Amino acid sequence: MFDWIKSSFSEINSKISGLTPPSPGLFHYERKSIGERSRVHLRIDPDGSGLLMVNASRVMHLNPTAAYMSYMALEEFPQDQAIRSITKRYNVETDQAYSDYAQITENLVQLTRPDGACPIHDLNLEITPPFSTRPSAPYRMDLALTYRCNNDCAHCYNGRPRDYPELSTEQWKRILDHVWSLGIPHVVFTGGEPTLRSDLPELIAHAEQNGQITGINTNARRLSDTSFVRQLVDAGLDHIQITVESHLHEVHDKMMRAKGAWIQTVAGLENSLDSPLFVMTNSTMLRDNSPHLAETLDFLTTLGVPTIGLNALIYSGHGLTVGSGLRENELQPLLNLARQHTQANNQRLIWYTPTQYCNFDPMQLELGVKGCTAALYNMCIEPDGGVIPCQSYYEQVGNILTDPWDSIWNHGLSTSLRDRKYVPDKCVNCALLPECGGGCPLMLQKPYLDIDQID
Amino acid sequence: MRKWHILLTASMFFALLLTASSALAQTYFFSLDEMTVNVFWNEDGTSSIDYVFVFTNDPSASPIEYVDVGLPNSNFDRGSIFADVDGQPITNISSSDFQGLGGSGVAVGLGALAIQPGETGTVHVFIGTQRDVLYEDDIDSDYASAVFIPNYFGSQYVDGSTDTCVIYHLPPGVAPDEPRWHTAPTGFPSEPETGLDEEGRVAYMWCNPQASGSLGYTFGASFPNKYVPSSAIFTPSLLETLGVNVDDLIGMCFCGFFILFIAGIIWLSVRSTKRRKLRYLSPKIAIEGHGIKRGLTAVEAALLLEQPMDKILTMILFSTIKKNAAQVTKQDPLELEVTDPLPEGMHAYEIKFLEAFKKTKRSSQRKALQTMMVDLVKSVSKKMKGFSRRETVAYYRDIVTRAWAQVEGAETPQVKSEKYDEVMEWTMLDKDYDQRTRDVFRTGPVFVPIWYPRYNPSFPRTSTGAPSTSGAPSSRGGSVSLPHLPGSDFAASVVGGVQTMSAGVVGSLTDFTGGITQKTNPPPVRTSSGRSSFGGGGGGCACACACAGCACACAGGGR
Repeated sequence: MFDWIKSSFSEINSKISGLTPPSPGLFHYERKSIGERSRVHLRIDPDGSGLLMVNASRVMHLNPTAAYMSYMALEEFPQDQAIRSITKRYNVETDQAYSDYAQITENLVQLTRPDGACPIHDLNLEITPPFSTRPSAPYRMDLALTYRCNNDCAHCYNGRPRDYPELSTEQWKRILDHVWSLGIPHVVFTGGEPTLRSDLPELIAHAEQNGQITGINTNARRLSDTSFVRQLVDAGLDHIQITVESHLHEVHDKMMRAKGAWIQTVAGLENSLDSPLFVMTNSTMLRDNSPHLAETLDFLTTLGVPTIGLNALIYSGHGLTVGSGLRENELQPLLNLARQHTQANNQRLIWYTPTQYCNFDPMQLELGVKGCTAALYNMCIEPDGGVIPCQSYYEQVGNILTDPWDSIWNHGLSTSLRDRKYVPDKCVNCALLPECGGGCPLMLQKPYLDIDQID
Repeated sequence: MRKWHILLTASMFFALLLTASSALAQTYFFSLDEMTVNVFWNEDGTSSIDYVFVFTNDPSASPIEYVDVGLPNSNFDRGSIFADVDGQPITNISSSDFQGLGGSGVAVGLGALAIQPGETGTVHVFIGTQRDVLYEDDIDSDYASAVFIPNYFGSQYVDGSTDTCVIYHLPPGVAPDEPRWHTAPTGFPSEPETGLDEEGRVAYMWCNPQASGSLGYTFGASFPNKYVPSSAIFTPSLLETLGVNVDDLIGMCFCGFFILFIAGIIWLSVRSTKRRKLRYLSPKIAIEGHGIKRGLTAVEAALLLEQPMDKILTMILFSTIKKNAAQVTKQDPLELEVTDPLPEGMHAYEIKFLEAFKKTKRSSQRKALQTMMVDLVKSVSKKMKGFSRRETVAYYRDIVTRAWAQVEGAETPQVKSEKYDEVMEWTMLDKDYDQRTRDVFRTGPVFVPIWYPRYNPSFPRTSTGAPSTSGAPSSRGGSVSLPHLPGSDFAASVVGGVQTMSAGVVGSLTDFTGGITQKTNPPPVRTSSGRSSFGGGGGGCACACACAGCACACAGGGR
């Protein structure tokens, strides 16, 4: 009752003052101009601070003043009204409010353009140390719809049985709504093989209707059917990551343990490239395929793949026993080659795997700061609604349908990963620890791998 | 001692709620390493609360300037509150500035004692008198219930765990076998440590070295009400005892009055709004990445500081001469004799610079220098990926300032000469470099550096190429002697290098610079596909993927 009265007071106050301050939650905007399109999400946290995410890739943190101003600017309120609201809300002179609001508006114009000014080089934004942010929820939620798969990769990180229980379409829709209410703007459908769920287009459409950016991680075999690609596009799918292990069909099929997979995957890739989707490939560099990396990159370039993802073996599921993983100190020449190749062909290279920087430092190759982001920037929901820290860390911290978010987000495992409690003693005093984080926690959990796999 | 362990859930609703949330806001991020709270339940029915917080402020965060301490209600004596930071008293304690989410509290302004980024500070707050804190125990009406939730802070601000201890000091006279503790909050031992404090009062202590500074933990104990005045104990009403929701009842009644008072409410709201404006902190947008790019050479820093091209070329000239990689054979137009083989430790831009001077045709030389500068710009740009330009520029400006301070602060001509030799390339980054150089060497001699004869072909050299000496004393007390020049001559010679470079090598500075920026700073090219780039590390600048805080981190391949 008193809460209701308080809300009424607040509304009355706001109407007198000017604008209603944004309620905590997620706000979605779309910006289009010639040759450019941006999906912008503004997350307002209960304390008034904000998170600005552009195309689910560029993430910026706003203090409460900046969040309030950004909200008004993105809502395109008239400037005078915005300034009036600022001066009524804060103890600030009008001139100062004008000046700051103009600066924020100008920055937003650049920040919300996909090819806008670099936030670090050009806009001189404040820099905070890597992985120092403690958000109220991750930026991205991976949704493992099913663990069924039409491939059977020898190195697959999946640690669950293929017949793992699955939720219904309606349950997944509830999850999508819940994830949106938590302020998570980006969902990636994965598995297993998500395209084996016939309701995938329906779920994508539901998420898009919420305002979420959607992606799928797939082997693309079902995408060899152009009508299926069309369904995904019509549902509003934004991006797609296709696993291609080699330009050689025999190598790819052998790694996938599925004869004929390569032909369907490449057809699916070509169909996707012919669509308006943002397409990237991903390849796991193992002993089987890394000797031919250059040729595989050439092949992908010939197909017109604009973004190439690479990762190393993940020490989970079959990855624990496959025995074809590369040592971290074997990665540098391969990544160097990939970097030179993609630069020469005007492609983007994305390297995913957290490594120990003393073995392989991605920053030296300008691949970016890569560390474990499980239960920090991303988490994963399993086919039964269980939440795991990342797609490969098969230890549930709760169930999204039955447990309160706070208990999931602040579960002991979640916080210990965020706080990097897993870091080995030898790393504690290393200057690179803030960026490196000690590498992938999954690898560190497997001491018996030391001899063969870990440097 | 007899220990009772009674669940008094109901009593908590009526009991003391010292809930607080922090007014710390904006860009605050810190760890609350320790929190120790002594709660004294006094014989007059009031409580006294003594907080000790140990904060470690994050290196990237704003200074901790205020700490809000929530209180259960507004019935506290403002004058009974004292605070200090690291033992130094604070006087800025204000209830009107309290901005926590709780209803009441005080804001402790740390002022000049604010805890700076990266620093640790101990904040001590003592609240002497807080009234209306005891409630009737709902299980035993002869008991008073004392429930307390220590201060906590927004989870977005607090990192790590907090070594937390809460110590209850029960009223004087309470016998050890009389009181009962309530259920301990999660993470704390189910039974507190018990004992007597220095005043002989029964004390309960709950500790958890891994508690969270962002959670409100509820502690409670009950003791016989005879030890405090009955007037100090809140007794639930009949309706409450019967389980009727008082809020609902009040709400129903209130609705009847609501319309009548609406005008008054609006007026009060307006007043309230005016009075309660929020503290304004400048808007800040932050992104995860690296701050300062350290380790740039002076020449690379010169590009970052947008120094003119002729000055940068002159800096490279000096750096090659200082490394004994070249010597000037003719100053105007500039001609060099390049050492063969080159010494070790040459930068790529130095090698290319010397290669350019091997060309005899002035136009070819100019073109090669432009190419060298283009490569240098690209190299610096690459090195800066993911680093803050603003912070890096400020860092190198500070180096320049300190370089000049060393030179200008030197007390003897020899020390001044030595310092100048050490930091000369950094002094050149000052926009008033030429005038300051003239000023600093206006009087007195300059003990010329060892490389100087290689720069000035008219300066006498020894047969080995080393400068002649004239018996000047060494500041290090050794026997080395150094040659010297009138300071003004030396300054004119060094400063003149830039003019020589500009006139004889670069030619038109505008054309020379234009030839470089055309290749390093082309106008932006828009994408033609109309696609966005999703989830893969941002847009046109490679920096986006150099940032950690993007969603492309560990996106899951490997299937």
